Amino acid sequence: MPATLLELVRISKRFGGVVVAHDLSLSVEPGAAVGLVGPNGAGKTSLFSMVAGDLRPDAGTISFDGAVVNRLGPAARCRLGIGRTYQVPKPFERMTVFENALVAAQQGAGARGQDSHHRAFASLERCNLIDKVNREAGSLGLLDRKRLELARALASGPRLVLLDEVAGGLTQPEVRELVDIVRSLRAEGTAVVWIEHVVRALVGAVDRLLCLAAGVVIADGDPVRVLDDPAVREVYLGTELAIEGTV
Amino acid sequence: MTWFNAILQGILLGGFYALFACGLSLLFGVMGIINLAHGDFAVIAGYVAVVLVPSTHLPMVLGFLVVVPIFALGGYILQRTLFQSALNRGDPLTILLVTFGLSIITENSLLQAFSANGQSINIGSLIADSINPNNVISISDISLVVLIVAVVVLGTLQLVLSRTSIGRMIRAVADDREAAELVGINHRHVFGIAAAIALATVALAGLASGMITEFAPSTGTSNLLFAFEAVVIGGIGSLWGTLVGGIVLGVAQQIGAQINPAYQILAGHVVFLAVLAVRSRGLFAVREAA
Repeated sequence: MPATLLELVRISKRFGGVVVAHDLSLSVEPGAAVGLVGPNGAGKTSLFSMVAGDLRPDAGTISFDGAVVNRLGPAARCRLGIGRTYQVPKPFERMTVFENALVAAQQGAGARGQDSHHRAFASLERCNLIDKVNREAGSLGLLDRKRLELARALASGPRLVLLDEVAGGLTQPEVRELVDIVRSLRAEGTAVVWIEHVVRALVGAVDRLLCLAAGVVIADGDPVRVLDDPAVREVYLGTELAIEGTV
Repeated sequence: MTWFNAILQGILLGGFYALFACGLSLLFGVMGIINLAHGDFAVIAGYVAVVLVPSTHLPMVLGFLVVVPIFALGGYILQRTLFQSALNRGDPLTILLVTFGLSIITENSLLQAFSANGQSINIGSLIADSINPNNVISISDISLVVLIVAVVVLGTLQLVLSRTSIGRMIRAVADDREAAELVGINHRHVFGIAAAIALATVALAGLASGMITEFAPSTGTSNLLFAFEAVVIGGIGSLWGTLVGGIVLGVAQQIGAQINPAYQILAGHVVFLAVLAVRSRGLFAVREAA
């Protein structure tokens, strides 16, 4: 296994005058848990879209597990092991919770027959959805939608999970539940990159924090140190950085 | 008893309409494509059978063994090339215009090649065979076969969609193609599969049409209208709804014809309008996602 799981080299992307990535390079090791913060419009979600294959960078290369994946679409990248959740969950509304996970296990992880069922159940159990497997996904509330979004990503057998604001809108105990899941993923060697505005959730779960502003990494390292960085405080001026009461 | 017979004939006719409509329903349900060339594809199937099947020495009634695989393959290729490039433009009008253009080109090419004369698929004595329990009621064998084929096709499709991994892929893509990509599904390939199924079913419908009645290059347009009405009456996205929609349309037409032969088509349109007015989403509308 290469020492680096995900490697971005000099990625640039702009939409008209808006720069979402400027000469951005970063790497993520297998099993790492990396937090990603930054003000709105910093390019965090666009970065995820470029890694997941929804968006093509204007310049630079994206490598996963040693292979350049720039030309691959999102489905192919998922099958390679890149899982992603959306900020606003996108379950298959007219399918059951179980089917949502099953389709990910079969198409993303390539599992067949009983194996795909076990995989789907395991991911649902892990995300506390086991009592709702037969519910239509469209009928779920926000927390369960977020759980399903994560369960579906996990069922696809990822080696890297991109979490986009999964904790937003959740209560503290609910956030704690998510943090526990992320910790357990790390223990299994799955790398996690997590965008979150609820910084206290991040600090408890990641061992490295990146701060992005205008498409540039302005700080990278130990979470507490990054949050203390004057440059980070500067871009967050006027925004509350709630790191007290970490979970 | 004559009314009972009218209803019975309507049900038989409805099976044919449903067979016609299910491909239309599938293309719309999965890709959001309103295929205005749908009826013309059925007509092409008829001509393909007339031209190709004799050379295989198969009886005409087994012509589907030749035509259906050709159409399934053609459907996949058509989707991956012309339809996909139209969908990539992102404007729903583009694909509508493409299918409209395809319809016009098809109709005129067929006119050029085969003239405007009607043709039919020769199935020998089967065309005249019927079940006659009494003097009034007469059930044509071939119409009954078409109804059974329609029920089997729709039932199989429903089963495939709900129980198999390909079916779940199709439903996932129909639900949210972006999210489907995210779990490893290549939505373009799934679109191709859906188009292959749709064209395979329309080929069956075209063959049925050629066996029951006549077809000509211009038949496609009226076929399309009935297929549309069946889909809308039944409710877009529901395959069993499409079967019921076809039957409702068929029964309405036959009852209209019973009142006055001139009312046959009109009665169907009136029922279609009535359903639209009372339940605009159709009788078996699939609940719209929240």
